[in-house]
Amino acid sequence: MPRIKLPTWFVLLLPAIIILASVVLVPLLLSLYSSFTPYRLTRPETLWKWIGTYNYQKAMGDWNFWVAFGRTILLLTVALNLEMILGLGLALLVNRVTYGQRALRTFMMFPMMFSPILVGFQFKFIFNDNVGLVNSALQSLGLSDTAIPWLVDGKLAFFAIVFAETWMSTSVFAILILAGLYAIPSDPMEAAKVDGCTPWQTFRHITLPFIMPFIYIALAIRSLDVARAYDIVQIMTNGGPARRTELLWTLIGRTGYVDAKMGYANAMGYISIILAVFFTVYFFNKLNAARSELGMAG
Amino acid sequence: MNKRTLKALLSATACAAAISAVPANAGEFDGVTLQAKLIGGQQYEALYARIAEWEAETGATVDIISKKNHFELDKEFKSDMAAGTLGWCVGSNHSSFASQYPSLYTDLTPYLTPEFIAEYVPSNIAASKIGDALVMLPRAQFDVSALYYLKSVYADEANQAAYKEKTGRDLTPPDTWDEYKEQAIFFTDAPNFYGTQYAGKDEAIVGRFYEMVVAEGGQLFNDDWTPAFNSDAGKRALAWFVDLYEAGAVPPGTTSYLWDDLGAGFASGSIALNLDWPGWAGYFNDPESSKAAGDVGVIVQPQGSAGIRTGWSGHHGFSVTETCDNKEAGASLVAFLTNEESQTLESSAGPLPTRTAVWETVVAAAKDDPYQAEVLTAFQAAASHAFPAPQTPYWIEATNLIYPELQAAILGDKTIDEALETASEAVDEMMQENGVY
Repeated sequence: MPRIKLPTWFVLLLPAIIILASVVLVPLLLSLYSSFTPYRLTRPETLWKWIGTYNYQKAMGDWNFWVAFGRTILLLTVALNLEMILGLGLALLVNRVTYGQRALRTFMMFPMMFSPILVGFQFKFIFNDNVGLVNSALQSLGLSDTAIPWLVDGKLAFFAIVFAETWMSTSVFAILILAGLYAIPSDPMEAAKVDGCTPWQTFRHITLPFIMPFIYIALAIRSLDVARAYDIVQIMTNGGPARRTELLWTLIGRTGYVDAKMGYANAMGYISIILAVFFTVYFFNKLNAARSELGMAG
Repeated sequence: MNKRTLKALLSATACAAAISAVPANAGEFDGVTLQAKLIGGQQYEALYARIAEWEAETGATVDIISKKNHFELDKEFKSDMAAGTLGWCVGSNHSSFASQYPSLYTDLTPYLTPEFIAEYVPSNIAASKIGDALVMLPRAQFDVSALYYLKSVYADEANQAAYKEKTGRDLTPPDTWDEYKEQAIFFTDAPNFYGTQYAGKDEAIVGRFYEMVVAEGGQLFNDDWTPAFNSDAGKRALAWFVDLYEAGAVPPGTTSYLWDDLGAGFASGSIALNLDWPGWAGYFNDPESSKAAGDVGVIVQPQGSAGIRTGWSGHHGFSVTETCDNKEAGASLVAFLTNEESQTLESSAGPLPTRTAVWETVVAAAKDDPYQAEVLTAFQAAASHAFPAPQTPYWIEATNLIYPELQAAILGDKTIDEALETASEAVDEMMQENGVY
């Protein structure tokens, strides 16, 4: 019997392929399959009942799902822009520091080191209407004589969530943009000085094009993060009250784990992936365009 | 009588009591190892310390492989059912969760004598069944809500005079929910002092709404499980929550509050009236933890317009899995953990028992402690009006559909009619989707 000889490269890659298939591909395929079934965690036999695209049709026709979808896009837009602007400012400031820059960089990364769950609890307490830090401070300073319902009012709760997200992740932008600032060659900057450019002109026409690829990398990473925002929102408001802060993943998480409707939750999850794919593709296109502008396309 | 004396008395009574549990013969389960998933928390540990006695008596070993709160255990059980990892035998259960796992736990009836089952409070046993199957034995962790109030606000002469002038009635703790609402609004001096508060999200608010619907003469579900709360009784019940919120008689964040927030709120001394669980009684009157200590009164919960008192109740229990390979050993452990001695031990720390004899013991032991006697009298009366959460596997799922709509009405996003109609339609659709009718 002739022995089948597998190519060496394939044999060498086989362990990695097996591991990847078992931890990524199999769960992915299983969750995709289950989205076409009425699978409930408490009734395992429902995994074998095929119902076609019923879950997808149900999600598509669910107003609450689309509101959560829209709110997630809004959170993405607001949080990413805020983080980008603040991160850029922070990086430019740190870049100008001549003494203690290393300590500053480390200090700047502190919020990133906290677990999102802890950040959620921290801001839940800070914004609590009755015993929260913000209301206590406002009342002590005589700026308010009412208990402001930070986590109840729709707009205020959205602000509180954006604030928590921004507090935790602005440093992601700052660190990446700082890396970009360090990579700018000195020649064009000196040429700009000689040509008499104002600081704004130098920033607009030299610094910004150089750091744009770094900004787009940060945007791509954070867009994936925010698109699946869960922990902070779950702890601070759990998507409420009255669905006022419901995001895609608080809705999906509750459907899958609390209601045990994993098939339906997976269908919603697969529709939601469109969001992540869109933003990733969009930012990578922008990244390539920015690199082309610098003559680095490849 | 202080807590220590009470404990000693109870322990003595327990030791003297004839234990009528399912008798396990010495060494009956030699070499058997039972894996258990139990609710975790400091207040539950005293009972778990007794497991060693059962091990010594029967020769079996108990391996506790998970200790979490009920919400986390609920997720774990669902994952186990999905993955088929059901090699464990004994699990903590709760009457509000039990109906979600109709196939997980075995019927304990064949492993227990009718006399032994009769020693539990009948209503607790009834709430421990799914259909005719006794899926758990109730533990001394029975929950029904009574009314806690600050005595000082009722003793205040200015309050008495103002209330008399306003209503023509004497100021006494309320016996009806209308009176409760009126007084809560009367006492409020926001943002420093509120008349009352309520749990405002998740199953908690739906449970409160449910008992209020019952008190108003309605019901949450019809006998065929079609939703029945979009009714006049339901509207009156929801209006109670809405009116209090609109009047500013509750903290504005109450829609985000759960039990711990409510406990902290009443203990801060800034809430006049608080419908709450028995587990808080000691905490509220402890100067170490509560500003309200020494000022706490407790009475039976008020009644609705139908003359029915609220009484949404629940209790913890222990169950044995259907897949357990030694159900006799499992049942023996569960019986041991809920027998008279076990319940007397647990009740000595404050929780309410689910055995008739232990109720009598606890009440007798507290007669020299005025506060404890007041608490037990109130909760014994409260227990007589208790009724469990609707016994459907879709209770939790239904609550997730109902509570956002209740919140929407409370916060003014929807009218009461719109909110109840939307919730009712959503629950109806869910029940039909699950083939309930």
